[in-house]
Amino acid sequence: MLGAIAFVALRVETVLVYRWNWAPIPNYLIRWDAARGLVPNLLLQGLATTLRLSLWGMALAALLGAIVAVARISPLLFLRLCGRAYIELMRNTPPLVLIFVGYFFVASQVMPFLPIDTLAKILPEALIGDPRLLRNFLSALLVLAMFEAAYVAEILRAGIESIERGQWDAGLALGLTRWGLLRRVILPQAISRMIPPLCGQFISLVKDSSIVSLVSVQDLTFMANEVAVSSQRVFETWLATAAIYFAVCFTLSRLFARFEKPQAARLMPRR
Amino acid sequence: MRRRTLLTGLAILPLIPPANAATSVIDDIKSRGTLRAGLATFVPWAMRDKQGNLIGYELDVAKRLAGDLGVKHDPVPTAWDGIIPALLSGSFDLIIGGMTKTPARTESIDFTDAYSFSGVHMAASKKTAPGLTTTAAFNRPDFTLVARRGTNAVPTAQRMMPLATLRQFDDDAQALQELLNGNAMAWLTSTPKPAFAVVDNPDTLYLPVEKVLVGQQDAIGLRKGDTKALEVLNGWIAARQHDGFLAERFHYWFEGRTWLPLVQG
Repeated sequence: MLGAIAFVALRVETVLVYRWNWAPIPNYLIRWDAARGLVPNLLLQGLATTLRLSLWGMALAALLGAIVAVARISPLLFLRLCGRAYIELMRNTPPLVLIFVGYFFVASQVMPFLPIDTLAKILPEALIGDPRLLRNFLSALLVLAMFEAAYVAEILRAGIESIERGQWDAGLALGLTRWGLLRRVILPQAISRMIPPLCGQFISLVKDSSIVSLVSVQDLTFMANEVAVSSQRVFETWLATAAIYFAVCFTLSRLFARFEKPQAARLMPRR
Repeated sequence: MRRRTLLTGLAILPLIPPANAATSVIDDIKSRGTLRAGLATFVPWAMRDKQGNLIGYELDVAKRLAGDLGVKHDPVPTAWDGIIPALLSGSFDLIIGGMTKTPARTESIDFTDAYSFSGVHMAASKKTAPGLTTTAAFNRPDFTLVARRGTNAVPTAQRMMPLATLRQFDDDAQALQELLNGNAMAWLTSTPKPAFAVVDNPDTLYLPVEKVLVGQQDAIGLRKGDTKALEVLNGWIAARQHDGFLAERFHYWFEGRTWLPLVQG
């Protein structure tokens, strides 16, 4: 692995006519301000937006995804068709097109009904970022969540459907209603099966969120582009950006691995 | 400066409801107290300094315009691909981002009179295409040219050097890199970039021709049918041309690089 990296680095050095200069990069992460001391600069500001977008995006995607998943396993054919159509549409179109179409059609239809200015005043800046950019942020968030919801819905449905037929039969034999059966028997078992793929989905959401830079949400990718173009340190900026995404996603995956283990252990004796 | 075809953007334009079609954007700006100006990063029109602040020719222009209107200036950094739809959907008031007037763009937005003049120019590689002095000399089937996708440099290259292979990149930095690596013979882009690149890489690059290949007019973009705003803005441009403000700022940002330490190093 290290050998491969060294080989690539060597090849780059011989083929690429480029003067490497990493010196300006740390300043774009964090800089010294005469009045306020150390303050985050563009790249860290962008990272904050990316994290906000990912956390809110996953919460909203979980909500939308749950609704779609319920539709998908509904006894009513109509709801099943709706759920299926939504999932297939979202999963089989490029995210790039979805973000453009969703941002300019869907979000521009929904946004006028939201009290953006009031929200911008009452919500703390740590949660929503720059209040002047809230409209833009919410629009992109909505599109991202709609897109991710399709994948979340499939994970939830698969989790529920992975529970053996016998569990349903047993529940029905005990006289439970469909809803009670779902809540007391199926979901507790299904949820522990859903957690690992949901964690994976969250990590991929962090990376997918970079497409919102196309609609000018000032996330890490958008900021990296601004820094790369302005400072002319193109490769250094993008490599540093990749390292930031890696650090975030890798930390998340280690973190999730920790609480996946007890789940797995708890399931074992049942088998 | 740039002429992105904005394919994605243009296709969905008819479906975006016009924001505040009845009132003039000038009234909106004054009642709000801020001028929201849309722009995209493009050195030296608009870029970030080391503190992360936006600087550049367009920032100076927009700041002065806001000051003259008696309002605050609020720049809205926007991805270039979506800048026209963003203007139409009301994300900001005006495009003050060095946008070149083109017939295709005039179909969807209005432009004021031009307030700056740039052009497409080229830098060539001393390694792969040494000693050439005309654009015609680059019109060869075994030659490769590079340019940024969607800029005016692309149609210019296709028109003036149709025999050469044109390779398009997402950004000028990558196009320049390809030229420096010796994988292309020449790079076409807006002034003043080719001249600056030659200054930075005197051993590998040179300017084959002195004059620009084609001239371009950059203007403020606004939503269609706003005659009052057009009048106000054209009046402002005429006044600032008359008192030399625009020429002086243009000289600072485009004819020298005293600003470079703000961005690099």
